Amino acid sequence: MSDNHIEHPTPKKYVQIAIVLGILTAIEIALYYTEDIVGVFTDPLLIFLAVGKFIIVVGWFMHLRYENKTINRFFVGGMILALILFTIVMVERASANYF
Amino acid sequence: MSSSHSYPHEPTGVETRKLGMWVFLSTEILFFGTLITTFMIFKGSDFPGMKLTDVYDIPFTSISSFILLMSSLTMVLAHNALEANDQEKTRVWLLATAMLGAVFLAGQIYEFTEFYHKGFELTTNIFSSSFYVLTGFHGLHVFIGVVLLLALWGIGQRQKGLTLEGGMNLEFVALYWHFVDIVWIVLFTVVYLI
Repeated sequence: MSDNHIEHPTPKKYVQIAIVLGILTAIEIALYYTEDIVGVFTDPLLIFLAVGKFIIVVGWFMHLRYENKTINRFFVGGMILALILFTIVMVERASANYF
Repeated sequence: MSSSHSYPHEPTGVETRKLGMWVFLSTEILFFGTLITTFMIFKGSDFPGMKLTDVYDIPFTSISSFILLMSSLTMVLAHNALEANDQEKTRVWLLATAMLGAVFLAGQIYEFTEFYHKGFELTTNIFSSSFYVLTGFHGLHVFIGVVLLLALWGIGQRQKGLTLEGGMNLEFVALYWHFVDIVWIVLFTVVYLI
């Protein structure tokens, strides 16, 4: 039944990952309140932090980094399709406002 | 200690039910992707009625976000305990996850109530509608997750304990719960912070 054994993180490692997630969330909140200082970099930094948290949860808590390629393809495929949809709608919206 | 399994007898090399769960999550990404896109269309536009930015309570929502984030930790610890066949710890972490999810839901209900009192209602404008549909559907997913967690906890109490094989599988519920968490990671940034 099980051929390829890949070790998952230990409970201690999971707690360390959760602490990192908590710190990233604290930085996000700090960025929100310091928008006047950080300026135009606020939104890109917030997106960067959210993507980081997303990858950490999917990779370590959902174990995607230890999973079969087929599973990875399905999940990443869904992400790509959603991003294509988002991009098309936003571009269409922007062009509609422009003209 | 835990391990990943390969299934050479399955055409895909992956347990079919597990693959099905990931395909389901993939469709859920598209579902929430559509709702987020709709929300973003209306965000930043001027509509009659109160704006969401006027009614935000960021400290409160931040605490809710932290609670949901930590529920992912308790969930993964439950999964880890079951892989070590520690039934007692598995049940404790499952119950902790369900409780954290319930606290998040209670917070969302309180937040919605406050928004309504401030005049930001479902029908205030199209932006408010897109906000409630987006966050409301996420809340519905959290609710379903809490029910699944409590059902698993109940099964673990009544029978000889949970297993990772067959039946209502803790691994699949865990995947669903973590998915609900990653959706909120995106929503917290897109809806509240940006």
